[in-house]
Amino acid sequence: MSGNNRDRANRDRARAKRVVQEQLAKERRRRVTLWTSLGVVVLLVVVGLIGWGVAANQESDKTAGLTTPSVAVDEGTAFAVGTGPVKIDIYEDFICPACGQFETGAASTIDQLVAANKVTVQYHPIAILDRASSTEYSTRSAAAAAAAAQGGKFAEYHKALFANQPEEGGAGLDDAKLIELGRSVGLTDAAFADAVNNGTYKAWATKVTDTAAARGVNSTPTVLVGGKALESPTPQALMAAVGAAGA
Amino acid sequence: METGQSARTRIGWLWVSTAARLGLAAVWLVAGGLKVGDLAASGRAVNAYRLFPYDVAKVIGAAQPFLEIALGLLLLAGLAVRLSAGISAGLLVIFIAGIISAWARGLQIDCGCFSTGGELGAGQSPQYAWDLLRDAGFLLLAGILLWRPRTRYSIDGVLMGEQ
Repeated sequence: MSGNNRDRANRDRARAKRVVQEQLAKERRRRVTLWTSLGVVVLLVVVGLIGWGVAANQESDKTAGLTTPSVAVDEGTAFAVGTGPVKIDIYEDFICPACGQFETGAASTIDQLVAANKVTVQYHPIAILDRASSTEYSTRSAAAAAAAAQGGKFAEYHKALFANQPEEGGAGLDDAKLIELGRSVGLTDAAFADAVNNGTYKAWATKVTDTAAARGVNSTPTVLVGGKALESPTPQALMAAVGAAGA
Repeated sequence: METGQSARTRIGWLWVSTAARLGLAAVWLVAGGLKVGDLAASGRAVNAYRLFPYDVAKVIGAAQPFLEIALGLLLLAGLAVRLSAGISAGLLVIFIAGIISAWARGLQIDCGCFSTGGELGAGQSPQYAWDLLRDAGFLLLAGILLWRPRTRYSIDGVLMGEQ
């Protein structure tokens, strides 16, 4: 009888101990969940802010020492070819294959329109494909085009760059080649070569790209006639739009 | 008392959740890692959805890769798994909504899920259906973790005193 009582007392004690342990474990899980959750929320907020800070830093690094070519038009973000009444805006990246195709197809149409004094073409050399080359060719070529514009040879140099367009995924053209192309269109002075070698207009290329993005230009080529974007940038669409704009 | 059957089910789910956790961690680490190198491009990818003013898109584009990497590391370590899975699910729902909205508006863009995205050139067509299917798959992983957040080799397990 007394043995039975002792057994029962032992069982009760064991049960009570288990209940207490379960309570403690539960309490511990609650505490761990609370603190880890708080920690994670704080961590994610801090990490997001770090991202913002890093981006702002990168932007100010890339636009430090901004030199805007004095010949640039449209808030210093484009180079004008021709003086006709209908305005055409062309946003291009010199490594973008679709831009190369557009140039191949539409260059003679554009030349005719310019020669007939029907249009003014504003070229915006933007750099959205820096990752498509190992040397940030997009930025370097846009900067070189700015140097060429400053030397009075934008239209010629622009054509030379597309005629020698490098493949995506490679190293792009090096600075020596960019200078050589300049020489081939008559940019023989030291000012052009120095601007390419020193990357004088690289910050400007970044600014032009940012301005374009702020205007909603997210792809290349983007072609606007009289401020209205062509849905599909082909020579035919370009001619039609220029005709509709009254030239 | 736990029966043999339910113990086996429990252990089975433990491993399913562990695989889901590591899979989702890899998704976030790769997605964030591919974008973190060019934050300006990441901002332009957000801008291509035309849902936010450019200045807002830039901030989102800058913060997003860092958040993705942080979530990836949390899941990899197994810290606050249920919360991390919940935030992952929330982000994925936002991404899916963004892709549907781009599709509905007929935008020709790369979703920027695993790249710095942006608009597509002539002759390229968007892969919205495939993007949506893929994001739904990731959402399923997050769902598994929300439902069964206990996994092997997790810091949560150590802190809870289970392992």
